[in-house]
Amino acid sequence: MKINGVAIDDTFAEAFTMRVARLIITGRNPKWARAAAVKLTGFATSVIGCKCEAGIERELPESATPDGRPGVSVLFLTMDKESLPQQLIVRIGQTVLTCPTTACFDGLPDVPDRLAVGKALRVFGDGFQASKVIGGKRYWRLPVMEGEFLVEETFGMQKGVGGGNFLILAGDVDAALAAAEAAVLAMTDLPGVILPFPGGVVRSGSKVGSKRYRNMIATTNDAFDPTLRAITESRVPAGVNSVLEIVLDGTDAPAIEAAMQAGIRAACRPGVQGITAGNYGGKLGPHHFHLRKIMA
Amino acid sequence: MSDTVVLTLATAPAHTLVADCIVADRFASLDARAIGELPVLHGGRRARLGDFFTVTGERSTSLRIEGDLERVEGVGTGMAGGEMLIAGNVGPDLGLAMEGGRIDVHGSAGENAGGARPGASRGMAGGEIVIRGDAGARAGAGARRGLIVVTGNAGPRTGRAMIAGTVVVFGSTAAGAGRFLKRGSIVALGAIECPATFRYACTYQPPHVPVLLRYLRARYGLAVEDRHIAGRYERHSGDLAELGKGEILHWVAE
Repeated sequence: MKINGVAIDDTFAEAFTMRVARLIITGRNPKWARAAAVKLTGFATSVIGCKCEAGIERELPESATPDGRPGVSVLFLTMDKESLPQQLIVRIGQTVLTCPTTACFDGLPDVPDRLAVGKALRVFGDGFQASKVIGGKRYWRLPVMEGEFLVEETFGMQKGVGGGNFLILAGDVDAALAAAEAAVLAMTDLPGVILPFPGGVVRSGSKVGSKRYRNMIATTNDAFDPTLRAITESRVPAGVNSVLEIVLDGTDAPAIEAAMQAGIRAACRPGVQGITAGNYGGKLGPHHFHLRKIMA
Repeated sequence: MSDTVVLTLATAPAHTLVADCIVADRFASLDARAIGELPVLHGGRRARLGDFFTVTGERSTSLRIEGDLERVEGVGTGMAGGEMLIAGNVGPDLGLAMEGGRIDVHGSAGENAGGARPGASRGMAGGEIVIRGDAGARAGAGARRGLIVVTGNAGPRTGRAMIAGTVVVFGSTAAGAGRFLKRGSIVALGAIECPATFRYACTYQPPHVPVLLRYLRARYGLAVEDRHIAGRYERHSGDLAELGKGEILHWVAE
């Protein structure tokens, strides 16, 4: 299969079931809502080193937020149920609570599995906090120097999908980067999906474990490192001198599929020789995104 | 089972009619005949609900009441769920000690809406009462939780001795509001006189008020003005003669 002359590899991306929460952060204006969201989702690229993965899903207009102010929707993922509330409590407490004018709302209100995030954060109020029930939801008002911080008592948690991916194989780094940027642009603001890495792009894809260091849980994906083509079992085709990866997390598999379709189509542009994907032989992750099936 | 039980006032009461049997969730298991047999007190004498109201529908927690209920007391007492729409004015003790559900009054209500039973310290403990008119004295008195909204003016001693919960008044609020307040909020969009035992804290934009007012606009279709949603409020803490963790939020400017 070829799209715009770019070969689509007959392979699949292998992804994992994760736990996901959606946060709606609002602020006096888009600048402050985004400032909190950027800090909240900082250092949250991969569970390998950050214990969580997070990213901005999309910006929200005033009409789409609970308090009628500009907002940002954030997806937050961890590998297990226990660590999601821990990460949310620490991160919201340090990045959203601290950010002027912001408030923090649950973006998965209909999900039965609830995380007591606001309930834990309320103690920052040192006994001066107050709760309000509005429309069946409890909110906590925490007094702060700027005024008050409003946070919902619980946040929904559901199963999500982490680790959707595709690799862009290009003749040089300029072409790889241009294709990756185009792919990211095409996937930005799609509902239910985040791209947790810097600018949405990974240059250092990894493999499980190490060939040399016993205590490393992930090391460089040497099969796709162009500089190692001559000394490893390389999967870098001839003429390819740079590979970039796009990693996608989302609320469900259809959302990932839709985003991969848009991203791959945008990445198929001059200078790109092929699109492939990372997997572990299908043995580790339950979600398999077959590239040719998605692009058919 | 029907979608809604409709009570229509057929015989206007000559005296006060205590009809604390009119409770939306209580009708969930009753047919029309059983609803009509429910006991009421008319001028202190025993009577049946059916002596005054015609009943249409059965076995529903959705209730509509039609007619002038100004002499009808205790409607929605202890209500724990369901929805009640009152198409007209209603008398005192509406939603007395209610625990859940929604009462929507398309008219004015008498004294002690959402208040406590005689001798009790706690008023409503949950649910929502929307009064699309004026409220009599002591609306929300002793409330433990819940929400009371008055789109017109509220009478004296509104929110007296509230333990928690929220009262929103779109119009003016008469004297004595919030006296002996422990926690809880009185949100005054119109004029209000704060008791001497309240102390001014600051003027700011309470972040929960836009959420609350937008909810009222969306859920009940109330005519909430943008200036109230985006506006600034004076926060008066009190009652300092009590716990002092309550507040009167008084809208002052856009």
